[in-house]
Amino acid sequence: MNEILLTLGFGLVTAAILSLSAVAFTLEYAVTNVANLSHGEILTIGAYAAYVIHQATGNVLLSALGASVAGGIVAVAMHTLIIDRFIRRGVGTMAIFIATLGVSFVIQNVLVIIFGAANVAYTIPQGAPHQVGPFLWTSAEEEIILSALAITAALYGIITYTKFGKALRAVFQNRSLARVTGINAQLVGAATWFLAGLVAGYAGFILAESVGSFNPYFGFSFFLITLTAAVAGGLGRPFSTMAGAVIVGIVLEFASSIPSVGASYNLAFAFAILAIIILVRPRGLFTNARRTVFE
Amino acid sequence: MTQQIQYLISILTEGAIFGIMALGLNVIWGWSGDFDLAYYGYVALGAYMTLVLTIGQPTAPTQYILGLQLPYLLALLCAVISSALLGLIVGLIALRHLRGIYFSIVTLGAVYVLYVLAGQYVPLFDGYNGLSGLVNPMGDALGLDFQSYPFFFLGFSVFIFILVFIFMARVSGSRFGLALRSLREDERAAAAFGRDIYQLKLKAYVLGAAFGGLAGGLFAAYLSAFNPSAWSPIEAIILYSAVLVGGRGNIKGVVLGIVIMIVVVQESTRYLPDVLGNPNIAPALRDITIGAVLVLFIRFRPQGLLPERRYVDRPPHERVNTRGDTLLARGLGAFNRRLRPARDHSRRGTPASPALSDPGVAADSDSAPPVPEAVVAASVSQPLARDRTGAPEAVEAALVVEKLYKHFGGVVAVDSCSFRAAKGQVTGLIGPNGAGKSTAIDLISGFKLADAGTVLFEGAAIQGLPPHRIARLGLIRTFQTPREWPGLTVLENVLLARWDPEREALWRGLIGPRQAHRSTSRSELGRARDILAELGLDKMVNERAGKLSGGQKRLLEFARIRMAQPQLVILDEPMGGVNPVLGERMALAIESFIASGTTVIIVEHNLPFIERVAQHVIVMSQGAVIAIGPFASLRSNQSVIDAYLGEVPV
Repeated sequence: MNEILLTLGFGLVTAAILSLSAVAFTLEYAVTNVANLSHGEILTIGAYAAYVIHQATGNVLLSALGASVAGGIVAVAMHTLIIDRFIRRGVGTMAIFIATLGVSFVIQNVLVIIFGAANVAYTIPQGAPHQVGPFLWTSAEEEIILSALAITAALYGIITYTKFGKALRAVFQNRSLARVTGINAQLVGAATWFLAGLVAGYAGFILAESVGSFNPYFGFSFFLITLTAAVAGGLGRPFSTMAGAVIVGIVLEFASSIPSVGASYNLAFAFAILAIIILVRPRGLFTNARRTVFE
Repeated sequence: MTQQIQYLISILTEGAIFGIMALGLNVIWGWSGDFDLAYYGYVALGAYMTLVLTIGQPTAPTQYILGLQLPYLLALLCAVISSALLGLIVGLIALRHLRGIYFSIVTLGAVYVLYVLAGQYVPLFDGYNGLSGLVNPMGDALGLDFQSYPFFFLGFSVFIFILVFIFMARVSGSRFGLALRSLREDERAAAAFGRDIYQLKLKAYVLGAAFGGLAGGLFAAYLSAFNPSAWSPIEAIILYSAVLVGGRGNIKGVVLGIVIMIVVVQESTRYLPDVLGNPNIAPALRDITIGAVLVLFIRFRPQGLLPERRYVDRPPHERVNTRGDTLLARGLGAFNRRLRPARDHSRRGTPASPALSDPGVAADSDSAPPVPEAVVAASVSQPLARDRTGAPEAVEAALVVEKLYKHFGGVVAVDSCSFRAAKGQVTGLIGPNGAGKSTAIDLISGFKLADAGTVLFEGAAIQGLPPHRIARLGLIRTFQTPREWPGLTVLENVLLARWDPEREALWRGLIGPRQAHRSTSRSELGRARDILAELGLDKMVNERAGKLSGGQKRLLEFARIRMAQPQLVILDEPMGGVNPVLGERMALAIESFIASGTTVIIVEHNLPFIERVAQHVIVMSQGAVIAIGPFASLRSNQSVIDAYLGEVPV
C-alpha cells in the first residue's frame, strides 16, 4: 500500500510536468491545426535558458522566469516565421507538420554548437524528501506540483472567461469563420503560441530540475511522451489534454516501477498506450465520437 | 588501392543502398501518400535479421536470437520477408482508420517501440552493443580477397539497385501505380469508383517495407555490423529530405535526391574545417543543413526538383512507335514541334472518331458556336419530349430504399426515408437545405452507416457494404463539391473511373508489355478521348485536373461517369455553381447517361433543371420523404410549399 502511494506520488510529479507540456502543445495545435514536431525544442530552450541564468545569478525564481520567457519568444518565432507564414501561403497541414520536423533538427543542432552535445546539470538544491499527506516529496517536487496547479488555474481562467480565450476557441472551431467575424486569427495565433511557449518553457525548466541533467535532445524524447498524452486526451482541447497527461504520467510511473522493466521502456509503453487509445477512440479518451476514414 | 578510390567506392555503395531505401519510401510516401515515420524501422529490422541469420551462434557475453549461418542471399530474402511482415502488422493497425498526422504519430510510435526493444531488450539483438561479424558475405565462395571485395560489393549493390529501379519504373507506369496515386489525391473519390482503399494502401505499405528490409540487409553487409547508433533519427531525415528534394512520386527524382543529400550534403560537410577546434560543429552544420533543406523545400518547392511526371497523351496521328523511339528521334520531334507551333490547333478541329462515340449524343461541342443565354433559358423552361416516361410503379426499380434511419447525436438526419428509383429514368431528389438528402446519398453509397433500414440495388441488399463494394456492383455517386484527383491529368482521371481488377493487380504492371495502362488498351484510351471531346474537355486532356475551373470539374465528373458506365448514378448537386451554358451541356449529358443504360438519381436545388431532366421527383424534408410524383403534381402540393417556404405562423 505504502509503495503504491509512493509511486503515485512520483507519478503526480511526472503528470504535472507532462500536463504543462501537453497543454502547450495542444494550444499550439488548436489555433493552427498543425501538430508541432518542434514543440520539444521549446522545452529544451527553456531548460538551457534557466541553466544560463542560474549560472549567472544563482536565483531560482529568475531562472524559472527566464525559461518561461525564452520559451515564449521561441514559440512566437516558430509561429510567425514558419507556421503562420506557411499557412498563409497555402502550404498544407501535413506539409507543415513535416517542416516542423526539420525545424526541430535545426534547433537541436544549433544548441549542440552552442552548448555541446554532452549533458549539463542543474545545481539547484532539491531539498530533502519529506512527507506531504500520503506522499513523499522533496520541496522542489512540491513546488513543481503547486506551480502546475496554479498555471492550470490561470489557463482555465484565460481560456474560459476572457475575450482572448473566446477568440482562441473560435479560431479552433473554424478559422475562416472566425476571421469573417472580425477576429484577427494571426494575432490570436501568435498570442496563443506565446502563451503556450511560456508554459512549455517553464515545463522545460521543471523537467530539467526533476531529471537533474539534460542535453540538446532531451526535449525531443520528452515530446514523444507529450504527444502521447495530448492525443490520448484529445488534440486541441486543453483540459481533456491535461486529463490525458495525468493518466499517462501516472500509468508510466507505475509501469516503470515494475521490477525488471524499468524506466527505459517508458517510451515503448507510452506508445503502446497511444496505439490502443487511437484505435479505440481516435478522437481522444473523452469524446465518444466514432470515426471511420470517411465519417 | 588508394584512399581516394576506397572512399569513392564506399560513397557509391552507400548511395546505391540509400537509393533502394528511398525508392521503397517513395512507394509509401510518394505514391500512396502516407507520411510513414516507421520506415527506417523496416530498414533496421532487415539489417538485424540479415545479421542474426548469417553470423552464427553468439559467444559468451553477447546474446541474440537465432544465430544461424545461412548463405547471405537466403538471409537477405528472409530479411525482406520479415520487414514485409512487420510492415503488414503496423499497416493493418495504422491504415485501418488513421490518416494524416494520426497515421504519422502511430507509425512514430511503432518505430520507437522497435527501437527501444532493440536497444534495451538484450536477448533480442544484444541491446546497444548491436551485432557484428558479417565480413565480406559471398566473398569466400567467389574467391575474393579484401582488396577486390569492395569492388564486387559495389557491383552487387548497384546491380540490385538497378533491378529495384526497373521494378519501380514498371510500377510507376502501371495501372496499380496510377490507382495508388489516386488514393493520395482523393480517397473518397477512389472509393466511389470502386477502389478498396485499405487493401491498396496496405499493399503499398508492405511493398515499401519489403524494400526497406532489402536495403537494410545490404546495409548490414556494407557496415558488416548494425546497432542502434546506426539508427539515429538523422538517417531517417536524410531519406525523407532526399525524397522531398528530388520529387515525391518521381523515381528519377528520388534518385537525384539521394545523390544530392548523400553526396552533396552529407559528404561535403565532412571537409569543413574544425572551427575553433570544436569537433561538434561540422556534424551539427550537416544536420542543420538537412533540417533547413526540408523546411525550405516544403515552402518553396514542395513538388521537388523533378516533379512527378504526368502521362502526356498525343492524338493517334502524332504518335510514333514509342518502342523504336530513340533519343535522337525524340529530340528531333521536340525540335519539329517547336518549329510548327500551329500544329496543336490543327488537331482540335479533328472530330472524334464517329465509330466509337455513342449515338444520340451531341458531337464535339467545341465546334458548335456558343449558345446564347436567352436560348438556354428558353430551352430549360421547355421540358424535352419524354418518350421514355412511364408510371414509375410500372417500371422495374433500380434502387429501393426502405425505412432508412440515421441520427447524429440528438439530430435525426434521415428519418424513415423510403423511395424507389425506376430503371432507365431520371429521378429527382429535392428538398430544402438540411432535409437529409446528402446524408441519404452517403447511406445508400456506403460512405456512412445507416442505423436502420434497407437498400436494395438491382434486387440485392447493399446496406452495410463498404463504398467500393457498392461501386463495383454498379452504383456510382458524385459529391457536392467535385472530387477530382487534382494531381492526375484529366485523361488519367477518366481512365481511372473504370475499375478493372484484372489490370490493376500489381503483377500486371510487372509482367508483359511495358506500362500496361497505355499499350494494352488502345480502345479504352480512344473511348476516354471521345468522352472528353463530347463534353468539351478535349483541350484539357493533359492538364492536371486540379487546374480546371469549377464548372470544368463538374464536366470531368460527368466524363468519369460516362467512362464507368454504371447501372445507377447518384449526382449530388451537379449544378452547384455552374453557369447556365454549362447547364445545357449537363442536361444533354444526363440524357446520354440514360441512353447508355444508366439510371440517374439527381439531387439538385435548381428546380427548373429538375423539371427539365427528371421524370419523377421525390421531395424530402426533415429527413423524411414528404411527396413523390411528377414535377407538375408537386407545384400544388401544400406540404412541399410549406417545406420550401416555411409554414406561416398562426
